Amino acid sequence: MPSNSSVSRSESARRLSVLDAGTVGRVARVLRDEPGRAERLAALGVTPGAYIRVLQTFPGVIFECDLTHIAVEPAVAAAILVDTTEVRR
Amino acid sequence: MACCTVPTPDPVMSDVLTVRARPLRVALVGNPNVGKSVIFGHLTGRYATVSNFPGTTVGITRGRALVGAEVCDIVDTPGVNTLQGTVSEDEAITRRLLQGEQADLIVQVVDTRNLRRGLMLTAQLVPIGKPMVLALNMIDEARAHGVDVDSGGLAARLGIPVVETVAVEGRGLEALRGALAAARVPQVPIEAVRDPLRWGHEMATRFRRIHARPSARFEEWVGRAVREPVTAIPLLAVVLYAVYVFVGVFGAQTLVALLEGGLFGRYINPAAIALSERFLPWLWLRDLLVGQYGLITMGLTYAIAIVLPVVTTFFLAFGFLEDSGYLPRLAIFSDRTFRAMGLNGRAVLPMVLGLGCDTMATMTTRILTTPKERLIAIVLLALGIPCSAQLATIMGILGGISFWAVLTLFGVVLLQMFLVGYIAGRILPGDRSDFILELPPIRMPRLRNLLIKTRMRIWWYLGEAVPLFLVGTLLLYGLDRTGGLAWIIVALRPVVTGMLGLPADVAQVFVMGFLRRDYGAAGLFQLAQHGRLTGVQAVVALTVMTLFVPCIANFLMIVKERGLRVATAILAFITPVAVLTGAALNHALQFLRVTF
Repeated sequence: MPSNSSVSRSESARRLSVLDAGTVGRVARVLRDEPGRAERLAALGVTPGAYIRVLQTFPGVIFECDLTHIAVEPAVAAAILVDTTEVRR
Repeated sequence: MACCTVPTPDPVMSDVLTVRARPLRVALVGNPNVGKSVIFGHLTGRYATVSNFPGTTVGITRGRALVGAEVCDIVDTPGVNTLQGTVSEDEAITRRLLQGEQADLIVQVVDTRNLRRGLMLTAQLVPIGKPMVLALNMIDEARAHGVDVDSGGLAARLGIPVVETVAVEGRGLEALRGALAAARVPQVPIEAVRDPLRWGHEMATRFRRIHARPSARFEEWVGRAVREPVTAIPLLAVVLYAVYVFVGVFGAQTLVALLEGGLFGRYINPAAIALSERFLPWLWLRDLLVGQYGLITMGLTYAIAIVLPVVTTFFLAFGFLEDSGYLPRLAIFSDRTFRAMGLNGRAVLPMVLGLGCDTMATMTTRILTTPKERLIAIVLLALGIPCSAQLATIMGILGGISFWAVLTLFGVVLLQMFLVGYIAGRILPGDRSDFILELPPIRMPRLRNLLIKTRMRIWWYLGEAVPLFLVGTLLLYGLDRTGGLAWIIVALRPVVTGMLGLPADVAQVFVMGFLRRDYGAAGLFQLAQHGRLTGVQAVVALTVMTLFVPCIANFLMIVKERGLRVATAILAFITPVAVLTGAALNHALQFLRVTF
């Protein structure tokens, strides 16, 4: 499965790894670049359509998704594409 | 406020509560850290370990509960985030249980704040085709966060009872008991089964309202303080110091002195010796029980008088940290370092546990994802993590010499661990897994849970570790009787005196160090007290002892977890590393003319 077809790709989708703390957005899609990565994220609720808020970017990326706080390494954050146009704070 | 919404009374489902050949089996299922074990405890009156981080339950726990007039088997399962595709070992346990004959009825426990994730799992539970009840747990925390759920609407939509609970306070659990009789197979459209993630998302959007958040609460403030580097690093130092004072000083010194010097030194051991001299005519049996390597005078004394107080205080301190949700935060800061060693930040949990007892920590490496990660973590634990008892002895000896001596020892040990991890991460086959960790909310630990958990762990220690102590003592007794011990000491002499520049009697201490590393350190403590060791010798000897072979209990645990072949290989690797590091340190200190 190369991409998630259920949600249309957005031109403005940016990698979670480059977003600043405080940024709010919606998950546009999760890249399936490493086996199991997208599944493990999906199991935590990180799926297309989920609202997220970046809490911290160093030393790892910490974000809130659906009232859950999740910490990931930068490589994982880079696989999460976030649409920030719809909601901006 | 705990409300139970049951669709319509259904006479068919009362069939669930009829006479049957075996008790009805009710499985508690849900995402990790949603409170399944708390509900299990309330329903059955049995305690399953409860902590505030995902992955506390890694096996199945069973208990009985009275529901209406019927006795049911309640099954607590490891948390699952998904039932589809590749799952971790603990998730596989739950999946097998649900698909087999072992569950007649499913109670899905959901953290109400994470309703969306919970419903994604609901959709995956539907195809199993078993009657279900949905428990919306932690409804109070959800409301405090501005989350409202239309449980009536949800019950009508799913066609199953939906019960609101606050399990830690026992609220809603009677309603949950009552709802079991009305359990039924959820009615969901086929799309839900085809795309559970999308369906869960849509359902949550429909039945959940998130209002503007109330102003930041104390827990959130603490949560921020322990995750942002500027505040988190000083806080870590404070936490480490507090744990050291409670476990290293109060437990390892004050309580040990009371039990070892008082209870065992004055009463139990003299009484045991007097009794055996009076009633046991055979010298070998007397030696076996109360001799130098006696089961009572050594095995039991060490297990009860020296280690028990230390592990008890450690379990209390560690349980407090577990329930507060603090420990997973440490993973954020250590992730980069661990990644260089073929691990990821999750490995910080067994490493921290190792400071309490390397044996127990070796078991907790089960939370790591890949076999390679587990192996590296087990090696690092065996190599460099001193247990609390040993840590206290180290501080006792080196603290009396100089602060630089303490710093040298820990600097060398940490550097060595990093080097070994770095090399192992590169040469061992296999992969490390991504660092993806759910951070539990910061909470004030509940005293009741802390006390029950500590009591359970002490029983575990007494049941698991004490027999290992006795086996170890028997082994030493056997070696001593056959002359093997003396032979080993002679054989070690060239290394001890030649390479490490230590007095010959330290060889004996190293042999004792295999029984328990802190026992060996205690032997060094005596030598140092009698002025037999210089500062450099004390640092070199303790460095070797810390890096040296794990204690027998830890070794047997490695055998249990990884097999005898791997355990022997680890031993064969660690021993020369420890000695060579000690020799290099000895020569470096001599060359630099350091005296401490």
